[in-house]
Amino acid sequence: MKKLLIGVYAGITILLMIWGYYQAIYVAPNDAMQGEIFRIIYYHVPSASVAFVFFAVSLAGSIGYLAFRKNSPNKAQVADAWALAGAEVGVVFCTVVLTTGPLWGRRAWGIWWTWDARLTTTLVLWLIYVSYLLMRRFAAGPQMQTLAAVLGIFGAMDVPIVYMSNRWWRTQHPAPVFGGSEGSGMAWSMARVLLWNMAAWFAWGVFILILRFVIERRQQRIAAAEAQAALEA
Amino acid sequence: MSEAAILDHEFLVAAYVVVWVIQLGYLAYLGYLWRAQRTKRLK
Repeated sequence: MKKLLIGVYAGITILLMIWGYYQAIYVAPNDAMQGEIFRIIYYHVPSASVAFVFFAVSLAGSIGYLAFRKNSPNKAQVADAWALAGAEVGVVFCTVVLTTGPLWGRRAWGIWWTWDARLTTTLVLWLIYVSYLLMRRFAAGPQMQTLAAVLGIFGAMDVPIVYMSNRWWRTQHPAPVFGGSEGSGMAWSMARVLLWNMAAWFAWGVFILILRFVIERRQQRIAAAEAQAALEA
Repeated sequence: MSEAAILDHEFLVAAYVVVWVIQLGYLAYLGYLWRAQRTKRLK
């Protein structure tokens, strides 16, 4: 039953990805100002949205770990696994944002990069979570998970700053298309395609998030068994 | 097709390639972790 559910979910995800790609490349119209390069939006924006949501998952996991670590060690380990999975998959999507953005910028603005508020805060967000992952990889000892949880909470504070940056400051990056000032928005023929791609990337993101969570839970069990074996030896 | 349109197309293809290299590369990394754990458990 479990395998069937995983298979059905994977199938739906693949169909959504194919449909989203077809819509983005063959159905959506070219932008009147930017032409074909505008189609990068159908990868760039959904990836940013998924990264934000997964950093929120990491935040919830980090808070959960700190809340449960003394009274419910098992729940704390589950929370820690979500924190790691959210941060790692969030970094993957944030990397997509930070590589597709400059490719788009080079054609739209004539420059690869500029130190404006949106781009800089996004890079800082990526650096914080990369340092989080490096710390988890290379630090050892019982305090590692606690330190990681604190850094995970600190890192998540940058997410609303990234989101609000092009509302608070004048940026090279375009003003928000959705939820922006009066007159912002998108033609339905484009918004529809963006929504399909949003659904496809969320489905894909959730798939690899759960896979990463399962791997981390197995790793925790292996580490616990190894520690037990070492004690008994 | 103008030179600008050709460049736009090339940049768009590059972006899509980069996206899939990152995503499938990460999936391969997860596959590697999964396999490594299985080997460890079998030992």
